[in-house]
Amino acid sequence: MAKKGNVLLKIEGLRIEAYADEKWFEIVHGVDMTLHRGEVMGLIGESGAGKSTIGLAAMGFARDGCRISGGSVEFDGLELTTTSETDRRRLRGSRIAYVAQSAAASFNPAHKLIDQHTEAPVHYRIRKRMESQEDAMDLYERLRLPNPREIGFRYPHQVSGGQLQRAMTAMAMSCRPDLIIFDEPTTALDVTTQIEVLAAIRDIVDQFNTAAIYITHDLAVVAQMADVIKVLLKGDEVEEADTKSMLENPQEDYTKSLWAVRSFRREQKPRPEESAAPVVEVKNVDASYGPVKVLEDVSFDVHAGMTVAVVGESGSGKSTAARCITGLLPPTSGRVLFQGEELPASYLKRSKDQLRQAQMIYQMADTALNPKVRIGEIIGRPAEFYGGLKGTDLKNRIDELLDMIELDPSKFYARYPPELSGGQKQRVGIARALAAEPTFIICDEVTSALDQLVAEGILKLLDRLQRDLDLAYMFITHDLATVRSIADEVVVMKQGKVVEQGPKDVMFKPPHHPYTDLLLSSVPEMDPEWLSTLLEERGVDNVGEAAST
Amino acid sequence: MNYFVIGYYALLIGGSCLAAHYRKREVFLILFSLTLASFVMGIVGGENALWAVSIGAGLLALAAGTAYSFREFLILIAGPLTARALRTAPLTAAFGMFVIFSYAVLGIFAPIIAPYGEAEVISQSFAPADENMLLGADQLGRDMFSRLVYGARNTVGLALVATAIAFFIGAILGMIAAVKQGWFDQIMGRLIDVVMSIPSLIFALLLLSILGTNLIILVIIIGVIYSPRVYRLTRAVAGNVVVMDYIEAAKLRGEGMWYLIRKEILPNSTAPLIAEFGLEFCFVFLLVAGLSFLGLGIQPPTADWGSMVRENATLISFGEITPLIPAAAIALLTVAVNMVVDWMLYRSSGLKE
Repeated sequence: MAKKGNVLLKIEGLRIEAYADEKWFEIVHGVDMTLHRGEVMGLIGESGAGKSTIGLAAMGFARDGCRISGGSVEFDGLELTTTSETDRRRLRGSRIAYVAQSAAASFNPAHKLIDQHTEAPVHYRIRKRMESQEDAMDLYERLRLPNPREIGFRYPHQVSGGQLQRAMTAMAMSCRPDLIIFDEPTTALDVTTQIEVLAAIRDIVDQFNTAAIYITHDLAVVAQMADVIKVLLKGDEVEEADTKSMLENPQEDYTKSLWAVRSFRREQKPRPEESAAPVVEVKNVDASYGPVKVLEDVSFDVHAGMTVAVVGESGSGKSTAARCITGLLPPTSGRVLFQGEELPASYLKRSKDQLRQAQMIYQMADTALNPKVRIGEIIGRPAEFYGGLKGTDLKNRIDELLDMIELDPSKFYARYPPELSGGQKQRVGIARALAAEPTFIICDEVTSALDQLVAEGILKLLDRLQRDLDLAYMFITHDLATVRSIADEVVVMKQGKVVEQGPKDVMFKPPHHPYTDLLLSSVPEMDPEWLSTLLEERGVDNVGEAAST
Repeated sequence: MNYFVIGYYALLIGGSCLAAHYRKREVFLILFSLTLASFVMGIVGGENALWAVSIGAGLLALAAGTAYSFREFLILIAGPLTARALRTAPLTAAFGMFVIFSYAVLGIFAPIIAPYGEAEVISQSFAPADENMLLGADQLGRDMFSRLVYGARNTVGLALVATAIAFFIGAILGMIAAVKQGWFDQIMGRLIDVVMSIPSLIFALLLLSILGTNLIILVIIIGVIYSPRVYRLTRAVAGNVVVMDYIEAAKLRGEGMWYLIRKEILPNSTAPLIAEFGLEFCFVFLLVAGLSFLGLGIQPPTADWGSMVRENATLISFGEITPLIPAAAIALLTVAVNMVVDWMLYRSSGLKE
């Protein structure tokens, strides 16, 4: 791939400490790294593995509350840990650039893209303002942004997420740095937009022979981008190898387990007979937010004990459909039937029992659990509210529920949500839904905020609960790997309409609806050649268009 | 030149040198600028000026020492969670807590601490301080110190009750508006705008002259006048909480509004509300004192700091500081409360690290 130059970045025995509870904790325990000019290194690991911390340390930077406590970071012959802050600041932006995960949050919403772009080169007197603007347009063109000569004069909220992420990459390139650090640049994007960004980043890094550190938790993505992969676990290096050998022949058990995560598959259940009444029927539902129509003629059924996966890009109306079913957003027309009975449009008019039957599990467990209420109370409340349980009965029920979600009742009963990890919080969210003894659960992107290993655990748990309690799931997701592992039926949505629906087996086999095809082919695969092959098939120049049609 | 002056300069210069040697930039700057200032003051004001500086520094050190020990004491007696929070408190906050604590003791045990009753005439008017009267007598010959102690009870107690009423009204309405939204929110918002557009002191004077100066009426009027600010804050804080998924989950469960307010919203908005309580308390306190000064607040013979300032105001023309003592008591409490509130705001705003 890229031609190797001399050593650009050399990190030795890097140790980083973080301050918590009035103590310094070591969070990175002596990591080494050597990066040559023009080389792309992929850093992968779960959250808390220290990926981002190490990435920032490569700029000689530690977040607030963190400090570099040992080791050396040598950038092009300059020792960053001992140089003054002024000298280090001079490097940042000009010779080392950083691309953050959320471009939407990293751009200043009050300035035009191009003004933010030209700030660094003008400040460092690398280029004059007008030259820099010309250069920005050139970079926008290379990154295949639409209307490269005009897009820079828009404000951040006027362009889409994928375009913003590319504009951010262009900005990082503005001073032609030697090293760019990409911190999960595509994690917040849909699969279809992710491809554009990946292709753009890969090209530009290649064209300018820039070295890069690519931080991600998605193996398939890193396989496309990196020359070398380094696997991290809890601040320690697990192993490092070039991409090909790492993918084909991982040495360590931990790496193998990461590789194996995507293999969880569940047998598809047989389709219920035509005569069997579905638990939930959505019939020709239209809905709108004010004058904006967001759902149009949406119909699908969910049968007892089955999982219906609703897939689509963000903005396709998946979550809105769920809001119509729960009654948070009364549909403008159409009906929602529950066990053959029509549900009142608004949740306010539904009976306690109707509310009990349909429960919801949320994407962000952080905001779905009240941080000031103990776990026991969170789980106990639905049981108390619907079942009227009190005293010992209630306590026993809570213990039973905690057992069901594989958390130790004696340990977790009295804790508060902020003391739990992401996966544990999500489990509590599941238990709260179960406490109501529902027949139907809406899972809204329940695994997308979690690490792959943890997400797999949640999927297995949901699957087991479904079998034990004969639950019907509506599974909203944009991740097709999740669909593949847990769904029985698939509903594909786009711009508020159902594009295609049917049993999973059928849906994953061609022929597809063109949109389904686009979604399916956009899911990154572990093959390092996947992106190149795909781009070739689609024709490089119209990736963007292909994704936006 | 005497030993005091020599020792004074020796201490300052020695301290500056040590600070410079150990590279304590701030300490050095303070000490050395103090030395330079002392040269000027020594020449202009003589030895007395230097004494004043030393006494000031001594008092400051004493206050810092008290604050430090008080904080350590609180950490020792508090539970582990509170102790952790207390460790982050700066000395100013600890000093504030100490002052509030002292006022509370003074107010609660007023009859035991005060040597005389609040309305008891024991001497001739404006009698100077002697062994019976710590601070002298007021215009009717009542013991100033005893009245000050009782004043802590009356003025602070009244302000506390009024603030509590303001919070009760403002917070509940604010949370209801955040949950209900729609027309209720709109009507409340406009109503609050109307109340807020009238200056509070003038509004209070107006209402008090219409309704008469009864203690209960006074408390209620102040509570109502100050509730709009609380409403605005609560509405904003609760507005951020109601959009959370856990509120949606509770709504979908079919929970009533009262449960939402009590169990879900209130626990998540306490931090800014407590900080606001401290601030509001100061404003209410000043308003009560101001009303008393104008003669519409707490009525004689009940001791009250505001009216004490007014009644003894004539003494100022004779160069006496007596009328300033209750004023200083008011100032000290408001400053102390603000010091604690600053720390709480700092904590709740998430600026910790």
